[in-house]
Amino acid sequence: MIELLAPAGNLERLKFAFIYGADAVYIGGYEYSLRANAINFSKDELKEAVNFAHNLDKKVYVTVNIVFHNNDLTNLKQYLEELASIHVDAVIVSDIAVIEIVKENNIPLEIHISTQASTLNYQAALFYKNLGAKRIVLAREASKEDIKIIKEKTNLDLECFIQGAMCTSFSGKCVLSNVVTNRDSNRGGCAQICRWVFNINNEDKVFSMTPKDLNMAIYLKDMIDIGVNSFKVEGRMRSIYYIATVIHEYHSLFSKIKSNTLKESDILYSNDIINRCANRESIPQFFAKLPTDKEQYYLGREEISNQDFLGLVLENKDGLLLIEQRNYFKKGDIVEFFGPNMETFEYKIEEIYDEFMQIIEVARHPQMRVYLKCNQAITKNAIMRLKVFDKRNYL
Amino acid sequence: MLKKMKNNYLVLVTNKTIIKKLSKEKNITLLFPVADFTVGFDNSFFINEIKEENAYIYVNRLLDNHGIEKFIEMIKLLPPNIKGIVFDDIGVLQTLKEIPNNLTKILYLSHFNCNYLSINTYLDYIDSVVISTDITDDELKTILKKANKPLVVYTFGYIPIMYSRRQLLTNYNNHFKKEVPLISNLVNDLKQEFKIVENPYGTVIYPAKPFNGLKYRNYENVLYYLINTLFLSDDEIIKIINSKSNLLDEYPYEYLSLKESIIRIKEREK
Repeated sequence: MIELLAPAGNLERLKFAFIYGADAVYIGGYEYSLRANAINFSKDELKEAVNFAHNLDKKVYVTVNIVFHNNDLTNLKQYLEELASIHVDAVIVSDIAVIEIVKENNIPLEIHISTQASTLNYQAALFYKNLGAKRIVLAREASKEDIKIIKEKTNLDLECFIQGAMCTSFSGKCVLSNVVTNRDSNRGGCAQICRWVFNINNEDKVFSMTPKDLNMAIYLKDMIDIGVNSFKVEGRMRSIYYIATVIHEYHSLFSKIKSNTLKESDILYSNDIINRCANRESIPQFFAKLPTDKEQYYLGREEISNQDFLGLVLENKDGLLLIEQRNYFKKGDIVEFFGPNMETFEYKIEEIYDEFMQIIEVARHPQMRVYLKCNQAITKNAIMRLKVFDKRNYL
Repeated sequence: MLKKMKNNYLVLVTNKTIIKKLSKEKNITLLFPVADFTVGFDNSFFINEIKEENAYIYVNRLLDNHGIEKFIEMIKLLPPNIKGIVFDDIGVLQTLKEIPNNLTKILYLSHFNCNYLSINTYLDYIDSVVISTDITDDELKTILKKANKPLVVYTFGYIPIMYSRRQLLTNYNNHFKKEVPLISNLVNDLKQEFKIVENPYGTVIYPAKPFNGLKYRNYENVLYYLINTLFLSDDEIIKIINSKSNLLDEYPYEYLSLKESIIRIKEREK
């Protein structure tokens, strides 16, 4: 089994994740989830998410992964029973209290151990297996050798991160946010103090501990070979554009691995697409070696927001595309379309029509609807972006 | 000569002079950070260096597979003077379940164990748990009241607030061609100060002031009051252990014990 697992901070993002190729998504409810400041899902939305996924024969995992304080336990049993009643496919947990409640009350929920538990060795994995866990989300610090041995000795489902932001700390082992801002990092309030800069010993150079983002594209095949089951993308706070782009690229890479057609040029191209979309550099971290200063940011890091996401295809009626504008574009721009079940292709904007089919020169306003003419196969929910990278240059 | 107290202190020691001063005291159990199995200390001990009777060992590294194999080797050869272990990694718990031993087993799952249910669940497997320092005084009281066994309360000392597998100081030195020591001081834009300590297994950050939970010494259902002596002078350690008062004038930092942390940003706005 190879599962591409996407984040989703709300229902719209969940749908885009599935449409763009995710096999499963992980989401949080209003309570007990480590992204407390994401939009998250109401109970009705959780139900709708599960129904949407199951109709596509896909899965939804719900994060219940805060570190619980006494008062947080009050409605936990009821919440878990509700998740079971709507048939979520698993809950992702880090606190043993959740497992205890599930077991004691025979709540029919599959348990996945969160990366917050920082599992790095097979004995820890066996402890959780004995408690009934079906899957471990390994610590991001796990090396290739660690993953291989844990798989061999436990035969548990293993889930590993392949893309996205990294904590500097072992997940769950940092309360910098609590100390500096009183925001509880282990209950979803992390203020990301590890991304601040510090003075060290009155030195002239500032101290930074910010890691670059994780990117495992070059190691996907190795990960499959050593038994990783689920390949996880970080980013429940991320936009539909990010989710669609990243899931689209990884889905493409996995398809090429399955068909044994993956080339280095595919990886290089995907990485450029992903890094530009994320506005950050992303590279492997702990898989092959201990990260050095090359895997961190120091001063000089540039994070310039781009406006590449130009529009969303709402419908394609016989070659007339209805586009919802997301960023400024104009006649003459070279763009490209990518989307589910279609080849990415370049397109020069020759004419733009407004909603009354009057020709306009520029699409200026976010959410404005315009028409473009195009005879290529473009599906609803395809995305129009600025063309920055040309795949032919990677061959 | 230390005055005898009714309290049972578990004292995490990092220097040899204080060991001599404390080892004869009846109400004190010494806890030794073990070399190659700990992070965040200026000094640690190999097992054969620990000669004191009734000694406990401290293992706070998160262990990879190689580390857990080394731990299994070590635990099979522990000398009889080692009576207890305090540990963070759940793999250690699993190992101690599998390998016969008479150790007092105490789980210190740093920043976890903030509620009584989790703690009671772990108590099915071990002897005691170090309660998290990330909770309020009221939460602590409730936990102690509802715990099925006596617990360990972090009573005084610098609290590790970030543990990274990365060698953050070495990386800094390599990047800027510097030579800052592997125990250094950080200051952020808010002028908050921290201590940072690196060894080959990772980097740990502490606030620059010790947590003072001496008020907990009167609480019941406590197996040990944990004192972490890291960065403290011998005189300070002796004074803290002997003090009848809570020394809040000298050590005012009570961390989250007086105010609950914020979960969502909007809660701050209320």
